[in-house]
Amino acid sequence: KDVNGDTLWVWCYPSVGSDLRQVLLRKCCLTQESRHFRTFVFGQYSRSWYYISTVEVQEPTALTKVTHFSIVVTSKDFNPEKYAALSRILCMYIKHGSPVKMMEAYIAVLTKGVCQSDENGSFLIKDYDVRKAYLAGSVKVVSQFGMETIILYTALMLKKRIVVHHPRIEALLEFTRALPALVWHRKDWSILHPYVHLAEVELEDLKTCPYVAGFVDPEVSNRSDLFDVFVSLPDSVITVSQSAKAMAMGKLHKDIGHVIVQSAEDSEGSDSQVIKDISTKTKEVLATLVALASECEDSKVTLEALKQHHFPPATENFLFHLAAAEQLLRI
Amino acid sequence: MEEVDRILIHALRQVGTDVDEDVDGVRQFTSELLVEAVVRCIRVIDPGLGGALAPSLPPGMSARFRVGMSLAQACQDIGYKGEIGYQTFLYSSEPEIRSLLMFLVEKLPRESAEASAQPSGKSAVLQRAIAAAVRAQLDLAWVPPNCRLPLHCETQSGGALNSFYTRTLSSPHCMKDSKTTDLKEVTEYHRDVLAPVTAQCSSGATMAASLLEQHAAELSAAQEWDSEWKSQGLLSRLTPQEYRSRKLARLQKRIQEQLRSAAQPASESAFPRAASDLSDVLQSFRGSAPSEDLLMKGTHFSHTQKFTFTQEAPAAAAAGPILSARELGGDVQLRQQEELSALQLQFQQLCSDVERLAADMKHAAVTHAQALDELKQRELGNSEKEEKLQVKKKTIGLLPDADANVVQLQSLVEASAKRVVSLASQWEKHRAPLIDEHRRLKEICSRQDLESSRKLSEIKSLHEKIHVSTEEAKKKEETYKQLVTELESLPQDVSRSAYTQRILEIVSNIKKQKEEITKILSDTRELQKEINSLTGKLDRTFAVTDELVFKDAKKDESVRKSYKYLAALHENCNQLIQTIEDTGTILREIRDLEEQIETENGNKTVSNLERILEDFKAIRQENAALAAKVKEG
Repeated sequence: KDVNGDTLWVWCYPSVGSDLRQVLLRKCCLTQESRHFRTFVFGQYSRSWYYISTVEVQEPTALTKVTHFSIVVTSKDFNPEKYAALSRILCMYIKHGSPVKMMEAYIAVLTKGVCQSDENGSFLIKDYDVRKAYLAGSVKVVSQFGMETIILYTALMLKKRIVVHHPRIEALLEFTRALPALVWHRKDWSILHPYVHLAEVELEDLKTCPYVAGFVDPEVSNRSDLFDVFVSLPDSVITVSQSAKAMAMGKLHKDIGHVIVQSAEDSEGSDSQVIKDISTKTKEVLATLVALASECEDSKVTLEALKQHHFPPATENFLFHLAAAEQLLRI
Repeated sequence: MEEVDRILIHALRQVGTDVDEDVDGVRQFTSELLVEAVVRCIRVIDPGLGGALAPSLPPGMSARFRVGMSLAQACQDIGYKGEIGYQTFLYSSEPEIRSLLMFLVEKLPRESAEASAQPSGKSAVLQRAIAAAVRAQLDLAWVPPNCRLPLHCETQSGGALNSFYTRTLSSPHCMKDSKTTDLKEVTEYHRDVLAPVTAQCSSGATMAASLLEQHAAELSAAQEWDSEWKSQGLLSRLTPQEYRSRKLARLQKRIQEQLRSAAQPASESAFPRAASDLSDVLQSFRGSAPSEDLLMKGTHFSHTQKFTFTQEAPAAAAAGPILSARELGGDVQLRQQEELSALQLQFQQLCSDVERLAADMKHAAVTHAQALDELKQRELGNSEKEEKLQVKKKTIGLLPDADANVVQLQSLVEASAKRVVSLASQWEKHRAPLIDEHRRLKEICSRQDLESSRKLSEIKSLHEKIHVSTEEAKKKEETYKQLVTELESLPQDVSRSAYTQRILEIVSNIKKQKEEITKILSDTRELQKEINSLTGKLDRTFAVTDELVFKDAKKDESVRKSYKYLAALHENCNQLIQTIEDTGTILREIRDLEEQIETENGNKTVSNLERILEDFKAIRQENAALAAKVKEG
């Protein structure tokens, strides 16, 4: 972004499709009017992750007429810390006034997995493990909701659409990245879309799968077609949309909820302990389901089989939908 | 002086003083006339002061005296600075009267001040005329219809009132679109077929209203377009046609959006609304003849719509028994009940069908979701595996010569990395000047923007100035016309132009006199200076001569004689000069004394004195009479 107030692309490698370009321009806070610059933002679009860091240019530098610039790194994997570090190194753009040096460093990382940085030490890809990224978000953030976390847990288990709203993007990112940890057995962070705008292109992209999406725009609460569960972070309110009937709760849910809350309140245990507890409980539930399935032919569950066990209706409903989510249901 | 007197008398007549026709000058003003004039003037100048004064002199002398004193006091209150007392009114002298009357007439408030405060202009005149006419009509008392004179009929009865009913008129002027003016047929139509405006209206009463409406519409449209063009049109820098077409497109789009948004929620809620309407209709039917077909259709319709909401079922079921309860007649009731049971069976069957379908749908949805999920996962897995397969194929191809190939691959990678970097630097070399160019052009653009906006504002201000000056010109023309007519209608008794001429003449005369006076003064000063210098010279010469001769006089006799002659000459000349000066002084004194005599003669002192003595005697008598009365009573 330069003195005239234009936001211009300097360099992209390899090429960037035009709609991705649009999306990135929108996400990058340089195009927004507010003076509030976010240093690091990440999000997902059509199965690739993008990481944007923004730096303000301080005098004196080799760059004249540029007030701020952003570095966007896209990749297929989810590892915010790694790419944050990489972007910091790539910020040597400031010093040299041309992106050539940046290119060298980036190519070095791509090909060799390591690159020198101006500060002491080098950047090694293998320093950044993906599991650490998964665990980096603190699950304890979720405990802000207390017993209501069970709603989030159920929604995630049943692969429903969750929308989280918070006016500040940093809080949004921190909260949403912790959510998929509740269903640790899937280790699937591709459902996470932490930073979405209410634009047609991005919403189209969202519709392809169940998602956990974060919005900064307060208008999203009016779009009830977009979500089954709506979480308003600043008010700490969870709303379940009318059409999500699979979310009825029963005794099973209460048990799980208790486990979550207890382990979260246990301040001695670390985050991983909490996640372990939750996943243990999840495994129990899945084990029952698998047991049910093995009773039926070709190890698939059917509704009739469930009905024979005379579960209470909420639990039966839950197990039915869970079976569909875990692909245990007979078609 | 006669002119001045005539002006004074005219002014006094306007104030209300009854001045006789043959009174020509202030000289002929009697005390009564003077008092009346002064009182009327004071009344006009200051109504508070004037209210206490009577315009006529009372007969009694002391009363007269008192009146005179109060009048003098009033005049001094108003601000007359000259010497004034009861004698001015009772024993008046011409110059005093003249100065007092002039002062009072000057103090009279100017009527022209009111006239200039009134707004000029044709419409203002018209409005004033209307206001005057309405006021006159309102002043007339209302008279019941029987007694009305023809004068009242016009203003007080209902009259021929017409309601304001308009009819659209068509005239060649109102269709000014560029599309239609060129068509030959249209012009023919306008010329041959279109009736004149007076014939287009059905009755004469609507014609005025229609014309007014059309004119008002056109005028307001023109004004609106004017103001909009000036405010927004110029800013958008488009030609008028472009601006209009763009505005039209914008409005159309907005209308479309509105219609769409209004249609959507209507269609969404159409179902429940239609159903509730229908149920209302059905309820109204329930009271009247029982038409089972309608009722059956009603229940069909309502429950096929709302098959997911099972709460409606009890309501519909309740409708049946209520209907049956309303019927009269036993066999009718039986038949009703049979039909009712049949209907209920049917209904239950339908309900179970509905539930089954609902469960099926739910099941289908869930399995659909699961199947989609599976499909997606499998697809992703497939693509990943394909990629891996490609890579592995290539590696297998390279395996035989593993080490060399590894080295080769590494060198390839490095080479391509270097190439990319070099390309990057080349691109950077291209990019930098382009960016600079871009920035430069942007600056130029913004500067031009600034300039054009500045010019726009100039244009706007020019427009405004034009507007303002045209209005002013119009107003001034109107005022001019109005004033010309007013001037012609003014009464011609007092010719102001003659007065203005005289005043201008007098002013020029005075100027000339002033010039002459200054000339004379300067001449006098010159003469005086000459005299002084000559006297000085004379003294000096005499002193020198005197000394000179005196020195020689001691020795010589003839010189002594000549010295004596010189002294005598000097003495005599001095005396001459002195006499001349005295003559001059005496002449001046004579002139002054003559002037004083004239003024004193005008004072009519002798006659006044006689009158004073008489009045004094009269007062004495009155006093004596009053004292006697007091003693008696």
